[in-house]
Amino acid sequence: MTSETLTRESGTIDKVAAEEIRSVVVMTDRLRKLKKEWEDAEPQVYVDDTLLFTQSWKETEALPLDLRWAKAFAKRMEECPIQIRDGELIVGSLTKFIRGNNVTVAMKPREILAMCESGRFDRKLSDISSTAIDPEDLRKLKEDSEYWVEHMNPVNYVNEALREELGDSHFDLMFDRGMIFEGRAVRENPDRGLFQGWGAFGGGVGQPSADVINRGLNFVIARAQAEMEKMDASGAKLPGSASAALRKYYLLKSIIVECQAVITFAKRHAALARELAAKETDPTRKTELEKIAEACDRVPAEPPRDYWEAVQSLRFLHVAFWKESSDRPEVPVGRVDQILNPYYQQDLEEGALTRQQAAELLGAFWLKIRETENLVTIKREHRAAPGTLLPNVTLCGRDENDRDLTNEISWMVLEVMRQIKLSEPAVYIRYHENMDEKFVLHALECNRDFGGGNPAFLNDGLGTERYLVRGVPKYDAVNWNASGCLGYHLDCGEHMAGSFNLNQAKVLDVTLHDGFDTRTGKQLGPHTGDVSRFTTIEQFYEAWEKQEDYFADALRKHYFIWWSSEIANSPMSGLRAAMHYEDCIPAGLTSREGGARYKVCSASWVGDKGITDVGDCLAAIKYLVLDQKKVSMAELLKAMDANWEGYEDLRKMCLNAPKYGNDDDYVDDIYNHVSKRSQEILQSRPDPFTGEKPLLFKGAAAGHVTHGKAVGALPNGRFAGTPLYDGGISAMPGADTHGPTALINSATKWSHAYELAGVALNMKFSKAVLNTPEKLKKMAALVKTFNKRGGWHVQFNIHSAQELMEARKEPAAHKDLLVRVGGYSAYFVDLPPELQEEIVERTMHEVG
Amino acid sequence: MTSTKGTVFNIQRYSIDDGPGIRTTVFFKGCPLSCVWCSNPESQNLAPELMHRDSLCKRCFRCVEACPAGAITVGSDGIVIDRDLCDACGECVSTCTHDAMRITGKEMSVDEVFDVVRRDADYYRDSGGGVTLSGGEVLFQPEFALALLKRFREAGFDTCVDSSGQGDTEGLRRLIPYVDLFYFDIKHLDPKVHRAETGRTNENILRNFAEVAVSGVPLAVRVPVVPGFNDSVDAIADIAELVAVHAPRATVHLLPYHRYGQQKYAMLGLDYELAAAETPSEEFLKAARAIMESRGLACEIAV
Ligand code: SF4
Ligand code: SF4
Repeated sequence: MTSETLTRESGTIDKVAAEEIRSVVVMTDRLRKLKKEWEDAEPQVYVDDTLLFTQSWKETEALPLDLRWAKAFAKRMEECPIQIRDGELIVGSLTKFIRGNNVTVAMKPREILAMCESGRFDRKLSDISSTAIDPEDLRKLKEDSEYWVEHMNPVNYVNEALREELGDSHFDLMFDRGMIFEGRAVRENPDRGLFQGWGAFGGGVGQPSADVINRGLNFVIARAQAEMEKMDASGAKLPGSASAALRKYYLLKSIIVECQAVITFAKRHAALARELAAKETDPTRKTELEKIAEACDRVPAEPPRDYWEAVQSLRFLHVAFWKESSDRPEVPVGRVDQILNPYYQQDLEEGALTRQQAAELLGAFWLKIRETENLVTIKREHRAAPGTLLPNVTLCGRDENDRDLTNEISWMVLEVMRQIKLSEPAVYIRYHENMDEKFVLHALECNRDFGGGNPAFLNDGLGTERYLVRGVPKYDAVNWNASGCLGYHLDCGEHMAGSFNLNQAKVLDVTLHDGFDTRTGKQLGPHTGDVSRFTTIEQFYEAWEKQEDYFADALRKHYFIWWSSEIANSPMSGLRAAMHYEDCIPAGLTSREGGARYKVCSASWVGDKGITDVGDCLAAIKYLVLDQKKVSMAELLKAMDANWEGYEDLRKMCLNAPKYGNDDDYVDDIYNHVSKRSQEILQSRPDPFTGEKPLLFKGAAAGHVTHGKAVGALPNGRFAGTPLYDGGISAMPGADTHGPTALINSATKWSHAYELAGVALNMKFSKAVLNTPEKLKKMAALVKTFNKRGGWHVQFNIHSAQELMEARKEPAAHKDLLVRVGGYSAYFVDLPPELQEEIVERTMHEVG
Repeated sequence: MTSTKGTVFNIQRYSIDDGPGIRTTVFFKGCPLSCVWCSNPESQNLAPELMHRDSLCKRCFRCVEACPAGAITVGSDGIVIDRDLCDACGECVSTCTHDAMRITGKEMSVDEVFDVVRRDADYYRDSGGGVTLSGGEVLFQPEFALALLKRFREAGFDTCVDSSGQGDTEGLRRLIPYVDLFYFDIKHLDPKVHRAETGRTNENILRNFAEVAVSGVPLAVRVPVVPGFNDSVDAIADIAELVAVHAPRATVHLLPYHRYGQQKYAMLGLDYELAAAETPSEEFLKAARAIMESRGLACEIAV
């Protein structure tokens, strides 16, 4: 048997099963009712956890930091309000509200205080949707914030260290909205929180581990206890220095305290379920409540005995991470199909579960995930994907023998998404060529019916490759999932250490001004020459590289100071260490401190933002100034410094110069050159802690607005202060006019994706492109070619009615919006009003 | 051979309605017919033309000054272009900073076209796609079409020709060996009606249709369904008869008339004669499909 047939056999699910899954009713009466309650609920600010946190903090003043953190977590798990709502099957909530926003004052007291004072709690970027707060809760929250403002660190240790080491001028610039750098902890309006803005994790995201679900938390507790006993035993040699030994001891203790706290949380739900069952008159519901009680008694302490318990265990661990991370709650759900399928198959075989029941339980889990909202704070709103907690789900992929791992749960997740119609969680498919085409088509249908670029496709081979090239053996390298804002996570302990962003567009801006920053009037970089005298593109490259080198050094130093201050001053998370118990327990460190199995797990990330803009800018200079000689560089600089005022013609010429995204080698070669060079320059400075090459992060949804604010007008025709291109490898908005294949070609001419994260190709389509089975197949082929060409992440967005309405109001900003009707493409803004109306109506109707 | 040039008004990549798989469609400019319902009026005239996008025009009137031919004047609502004076020199296009002016149509060599087409070879391979020549009318520039098709064949690309059928039969015959699939328009079988609405009778078209049908090259018949022209049971039945007799294995595509091209007439300074026409009803389209199917033909309604 060839490996080809092997792969196909393992990935293709039974025909009968596929049929049955496609006909399950996810939206049962129960789920419809629960979803309706969610839709009708008003988002509420939830304060009980933060108050418990503060209370615990006051009670533990004399204890070591790591333990205080663990105890503050335990207090919340033991005392927070819990509830089991009528009809619920899967339980355990972050907040007590159906739509709740959890805040942790200690992490950002000033911001929360400002919110309390203004009375505005926004959960989205728009003004329309702010979150309600109970007046009594508001009073308590304000009191809590005032306490923390008063009691927090008098100095912001990271900021002070940076000022000391890097000097005032850089320090100011860092604060000036990510002028050149934008670090995690260092942003405008720095809040001297308990721990730097990023929460106790000091960066990084934890998530439930399949292995721990399978073994149960008691297993981990036993491991930690055994390790502690070794340390306690008389005559045992303690590890390293006294401080290392102490930290290890308290980490072990934290692991035990935090795992036990999660178990307590579960048992409280068991007790509540039993109490409710005793009172319940409806016999069906009574049985359900008894089953809930049984499940909560069992998991996550012990291995799940069936599918229901596995879902419940995953839910508890996911919520536990959400509760613990508080300020940075971007907790992925992980590889749901791989985690649940063994339990599901076992139950099916035993006849203990029907596919219908399995689908309803999964749907119930989906609704629980959606209960939690994200309060957008001032700091976050410029950076993060608005209002999302990024509970990413990852499906499919291959195992170490290259066998397709698509299973019945993968199919079922798609069905749940299709029927439940929630924008979250975002689902990522680890796509590879040997996947069953039917599955891909089903996924595309889901996307079409619901829009929102969900599910997205990740290149399975590349995802694994990026770990292999860093020396991770294949059996571990294949076990990764999507995490955070277009990052990824290795199950055996990836930490996603701090990411620091270099604002490449700003570096170019400074280069074009001989190291001078026109915005602040400071000489920011070295003198690299008056560009108006340059006659070759190589001279531009050379000057830019010198600036790049200079700022790459500063960035590394910035990172080193920030990261070491962070590690030294913030607690370790016991829960996270528990997930990677095999490595973190003996090491006595979390993966943040290097306790993980592989160095790459603790490697830092460098954000390489705006390099696409740089490519377009240099192409415009080469085209207009050097090749065509249509304008002098001096004139172009004048126009840029005037922010194009009085230079509209010149700006238009710049806009019409070759642009990335059109498969035009003229500009793509330049883009590839700067992109490659900047990568080499950034990666030539190893991570100061691991000695590893840092990983690169292009930053997809985040940052382009903030970074753009610091950048003056650029030769690509962009105005000063406006956003940079988004999506890491997206083209200038509206400039990619040659269709999806041209955009993909531009984006994949240089295969470098395994070095990168955050390189999402966001493609927009009108719905007509997906409206027949043949067209879906063509889209599936597009995904295939994208992958073969070495693309990493692609997602398809369908034009929304709202977007079309905006185009009607503001045609100039949407002049390239193509709509398709029966194979005919037309520019939307050119259509007569009544036809525009018709298309808007139809789009609204279709998307629903 | 590759120095052969032709006029093209658009090369559309990721074209998914013009044949199997992902394709690139090369739209020829220039057409001997002038169908009143044409949704691409910029394809009719062989010469490049100026298009004015009024929705983007800011009425700054800089183009008025810039036009060396004096073809642009200020009208009561925006600018007025005198098409007789305009020679599509493009001056106003570079003057307008609002993208409200565009020249449609460009003379291209076979190499230039090929250079665009070859870029999507990976997609053709993975999707079973290729390249489609469409128009305008492909047969209107037969040498150019032949040179392109040969070149595509050499490169191993699947080829498809979408034609109204109006053109020199000898020219068509020479293309046939290089075509993997024909899309052939049949609009009406009554020569008088045909002439009234398209400017020409249909003898030449029907002769060419027979030519393609006997060649054995796979064939799909496209029927634009236009209210007031051929949306009658008789007209459709006639077409069904023709196809059933000459090309019984051909698929028939019914293309319901739509008005999305309407605005382009104004952009080109042309009148739109069909302004009042409606889109054909679903019932009629289904009835038309039933007629085709009753003659044993596979039939699809384009969506
Ligand atoms: S220059 Fe452009 S915007 Fe100004 S009037 Fe002419 S077409 Fe309109
Ligand atoms: S294309 Fe040339 S001739 Fe025609 S209107 Fe514009 S400037 Fe005048």
